[in-house]
Amino acid sequence: MAGASAADVRSILSLPNPSTPGPSQPRKPSNAGERARKPEGISRELYSLIGPSAPSLAAQFVKPRLKQKPNFGSGGRVKWEWRPFKNGARADSMRLHHWAKTGTDPEADYPFAKYNIQPISFVYSQDEYTRLLEDQEWTKEETDYLFELVREYDQRWHIVHDRYEYIGGSERSLEDLKDRYFTVCRKLVKNRPWAGDEASKSQLLSSLQFDKEREITRKRYIASLESRTPQQKAEEDALYVELKRLEQSERRFKRERDELLRTLLGIESGLSELPLDEEGIATGPPDTKRRKKGNHTAEPDTPISATPSSNVISLGQPQPRKAQTAKSAAYDALHFIYRTEVPPTTTSTTKASHQAAYLRSYKLPQPKITSAAKVAQVLGEIGISHGRLVMPTRDNCVQLESLLEAATALVETKKVVDKVEQDIRVLKARLGKRESEGAEDSFGTGEAAPTPMDVDEVEAEADGRAQSVVSTRSARSVRSRKQSRRSMSISSVDTSAAGASRRQKRQRD
Amino acid sequence: MVNYGGDEVSALVVDIGTSSLRAGYAGDDTPKAIIPTTYGYIEELDTPAENGDGDVSMSDAGANAESEAADPRTKVKLYIGANGPSLWRENMKVENPVKNGLIQNFDAIPPLISHALEEVMRCNPSEHPVLVTEPAWNTPANRERMAEIMFEHFNVPAFYISNTSVLNAFAAGKGSAYVVDVGQSTASVTPVIDGFVMRRGLMHSPLPQLVHAHARHTLIAPSGRRPGIQLHPHQLIASRQPVEPGAPPKFELRQNSLAGTTESWRTWAEAHEVDEWIQSVSGILDQGWNEQLATQRGPRHYEFATGYSNYFNGVERYMVGEQFFSHSPTLIASNPNLPKTIPALISMSLNACDAEIRQVLMGNIVLTGGGSLFSGFADRLQTELARNYPHAKIHAPGNPTERRYGGWLGGSILGSLGTFHQLWISREEWQEHGKAIVGQRCK
Repeated sequence: MAGASAADVRSILSLPNPSTPGPSQPRKPSNAGERARKPEGISRELYSLIGPSAPSLAAQFVKPRLKQKPNFGSGGRVKWEWRPFKNGARADSMRLHHWAKTGTDPEADYPFAKYNIQPISFVYSQDEYTRLLEDQEWTKEETDYLFELVREYDQRWHIVHDRYEYIGGSERSLEDLKDRYFTVCRKLVKNRPWAGDEASKSQLLSSLQFDKEREITRKRYIASLESRTPQQKAEEDALYVELKRLEQSERRFKRERDELLRTLLGIESGLSELPLDEEGIATGPPDTKRRKKGNHTAEPDTPISATPSSNVISLGQPQPRKAQTAKSAAYDALHFIYRTEVPPTTTSTTKASHQAAYLRSYKLPQPKITSAAKVAQVLGEIGISHGRLVMPTRDNCVQLESLLEAATALVETKKVVDKVEQDIRVLKARLGKRESEGAEDSFGTGEAAPTPMDVDEVEAEADGRAQSVVSTRSARSVRSRKQSRRSMSISSVDTSAAGASRRQKRQRD
Repeated sequence: MVNYGGDEVSALVVDIGTSSLRAGYAGDDTPKAIIPTTYGYIEELDTPAENGDGDVSMSDAGANAESEAADPRTKVKLYIGANGPSLWRENMKVENPVKNGLIQNFDAIPPLISHALEEVMRCNPSEHPVLVTEPAWNTPANRERMAEIMFEHFNVPAFYISNTSVLNAFAAGKGSAYVVDVGQSTASVTPVIDGFVMRRGLMHSPLPQLVHAHARHTLIAPSGRRPGIQLHPHQLIASRQPVEPGAPPKFELRQNSLAGTTESWRTWAEAHEVDEWIQSVSGILDQGWNEQLATQRGPRHYEFATGYSNYFNGVERYMVGEQFFSHSPTLIASNPNLPKTIPALISMSLNACDAEIRQVLMGNIVLTGGGSLFSGFADRLQTELARNYPHAKIHAPGNPTERRYGGWLGGSILGSLGTFHQLWISREEWQEHGKAIVGQRCK
């Protein structure tokens, strides 16, 4: 029963029948074998339906099996025994007990004995002392005591100083102790026959170097640092900030002077001795922010002086910058340099708003998507392909841009005109209807009141609306291109088609 | 086996403090036996009459022979352990062998250690090396006496005595640390450099005793709000009735017990009552003393053994802990020998240290000891230190066991290190060199 219904369902679901293709015919018994090994957790009927072709589904029904037990090596038990051990680092014969594996050698070296390292200690004879090490500040007994302590505490000088209690001796500072110890050691190394090479000897000597005066000065510095009052600390901070500020303004002054001289006379200012390290300046967040801003305005503005000045802090103050550009105008004209305005979107100085160098032809304005087809049609009528300029010079680009602008405006205007005409038609129709009805209530709506001669008024109203939009736009110099396009009057289309800077045009109308 | 440098030789660690004696195996994370250091004793005439007081007296039977040395004419019966001083016994006196962190009365030490090791841990000290702790200001005579007790009385195979401050630093995983240890009787600050105590910078004061005395005074002195509180311990109260907060308590004392109660036991029991009140009610303001702020914290309810209960307002509660950090001008004026406060101890101690190591110490402050569990202590210490040492960093284990038994824990770490086993003073060395070896080996 299952077989027959399975075939039906397969044909309904247009599943390939595993038994129909030729190659599977001889494999029938193996197929049956597979069916016998149906996965756990799936009913026999379902399995015969879907067959082995849905393993991912069936796998979800399989009961989770426990993880296989790990096999720990040989499997043999490790025997441990509690037994005494000999610690090589001990001088006596005490045997402590610990747990150890049975197989291991009980007399083997204690593994921790190797950490018992004795430091190198210097020993001198009475003869050596009288010959080399005499010092009126120190007796031999006290020197002996010092060396004993240093050996006992592994040259932990703070501890040596802490435990130093030589009876009958004067109070010794840590520097006194260190100085005496290292002086003695240096003398011993210098005057004894040296087995190794000279390099190792000088290395050892340098490790025994001790400058007492310097150490004392250093300690005094640390002490004075710690004894500062909060007022002193605050003053120090304020002075530091002031210093940084002075450095910055000096650097700015130098840079501006440099640029000025270069742009006007083309010579170096001769102030190169002032270092221009940018790393030291970036002290606080406001500074870096300022610097970024400065970068933005500086780079497109003065490409010629970009090499020295682009990294330098510019405080972003508009006044000196304006003056500077005015002065460099002559230079620009001479070298055919055109300056472009950075789009006003760079108010936020994030990385994303950074503008890299680009080809002029990449930035040709695209007509609005809604009117793109119509604009293309208009341009086609003139016979211009707006997608690509054969010669994208600066002038050509400006021309094309204004042309596109004009075409867009034209299309938009056409739309507005169409709409207004449509409105007029509708209103006329309604007026006619109302007149035919008798028009008992003349006070109705304001726009529904017109008399037969009001066609002109409606037109005037539509025109006024457009004008008002224009006026608002020019009043607040709207940024949105969309809005400006919509409100552009036909006259402005005409003038803007004449070319020249569009921005100035816009401000004029 | 060489992993983590550990090699356990089943050493025992014994840490004797003012409040409790801790003992356990080296390598464990908590002591196995914690018994109060305070013990009770009854002086009897030398009669072999058996005191039928149950297992406690039996357990101390072995210790009695030793304690006889104190006074040969009287026989002293000791009551040690959890059921030692805390049970009322007729004519039982109470004593603590530790004064200001130092062991003053060595007669009671063998019975105490024997109780912890043999009765509680059930181990034989003659089979284990024993590591004992000492405060940093311990005297050489004291540590030699301890070694003598261990070798001659307990027959230990090996012995070592180590400094609690160093061990506390080890417990925090530091070789150099500034250990601020607030115990039951003594607060101490110890600079530890490379596992050695800087003796010049070691400062300690009986500050916790002052805190306790202040709390006791707060309770028993009558104030405008309430009469003085009676601190009868629960052992002496036969019956009581619930009363409203602030109302006079209704209770009856065990009249037959009163006559046999000794003065020392009563003092001990009342101190216990005060301690319990401190632990449940008082705290420390973390931003310095501010009466308004203290009032805002609100009152807390506490009921005493007599049944008397009351709400203790913020000023009462936080003034107790404030004694750790500042004293009122009137108190200073009336008492010129006040124990030094914690900030005073720290600044004195740091001034005695070399300027070079102050930075190291301030970056590794280890706060330890049961007294530091006062709520708000660590925060307040941080505030106090931040004024003068902006880089101070405090290590204060959140786990109360680690804080209370830090010294024992450090001993447990030290005693289970493979490299430490060369430092044990063996029985052989003790017999050969005598007491001098203790000072030589345990630096």
